[in-house]
Amino acid sequence: MSDDRTLRLRRVIKAPVAEVFDAWIDPNLLVQWWGPENFTIPSHEIDAREGGAWTTTMLSPEGTRHTVSGVYKVIDRPNKLVFTWQWTQDDGSEGHETEVTVTFAPAAEGTRLDFVQAVFENSEQAKNHAFGWESSFVCLDRLFA
Amino acid sequence: MQHPPLSDVFGALADPTRLAIVERLLSEGECTVGDLAEPFAISKPAISKHLGVLEKAGLIERHVVRQWRYCRVRPDALAAIDDWMRRYREFWETSLDRLAKLMERKRDRKNEGSKPDER
Repeated sequence: MSDDRTLRLRRVIKAPVAEVFDAWIDPNLLVQWWGPENFTIPSHEIDAREGGAWTTTMLSPEGTRHTVSGVYKVIDRPNKLVFTWQWTQDDGSEGHETEVTVTFAPAAEGTRLDFVQAVFENSEQAKNHAFGWESSFVCLDRLFA
Repeated sequence: MQHPPLSDVFGALADPTRLAIVERLLSEGECTVGDLAEPFAISKPAISKHLGVLEKAGLIERHVVRQWRYCRVRPDALAAIDDWMRRYREFWETSLDRLAKLMERKRDRKNEGSKPDER
């Protein structure tokens, strides 16, 4: 069942490791790919330091806004990036927190990117945030509606 | 039957003992309450309380056969979690595709820039 609680994705991207890494923390690059196709990022704040906060607001083509934010836990350029991820709910409170770990490694064709999103960062925290799950789900639901 | 909110499902699973119970039921299928209590250093009433939370969240169902009380995982509860994960997967797969395209466009622009006679 552990795999049901962790999302794992792998991509090979045809660009040098440092460039791919920077696309995650350079706001000018991030806004160009973050989120579903045809969404824009009308506002964002990215404090790309360990312990620094980030927030992005995605705007759907239909005009609905979805805000997600978190804190950078590890910024080990160009190898590894760890940050937390929380949807902001309609009432302004934060939803369940998940943790994203992205590792970047040189590959023959460019960069191998490994993405992991752990939905239960740790049990204690998951317990405290348990009631945010539903809203987090609703945010994603709307995003793909 | 209407399934309980997903927040209840995740709330129930957030407890390590309850998660272990569900994992055990998933691998072994049906178990008696006594069997389930065995690996844990907690009392049978405490296990029953955990089972009650899991049942309320729609994760397991209990039934009685003669003097034995059996539990099993409800498949529809897992479907709700799968659905949640699927949406996250969709979100990131689209984003990563866009990232790959962005990086390729950047590279193409750079390559064009290094050939001034084509400009």
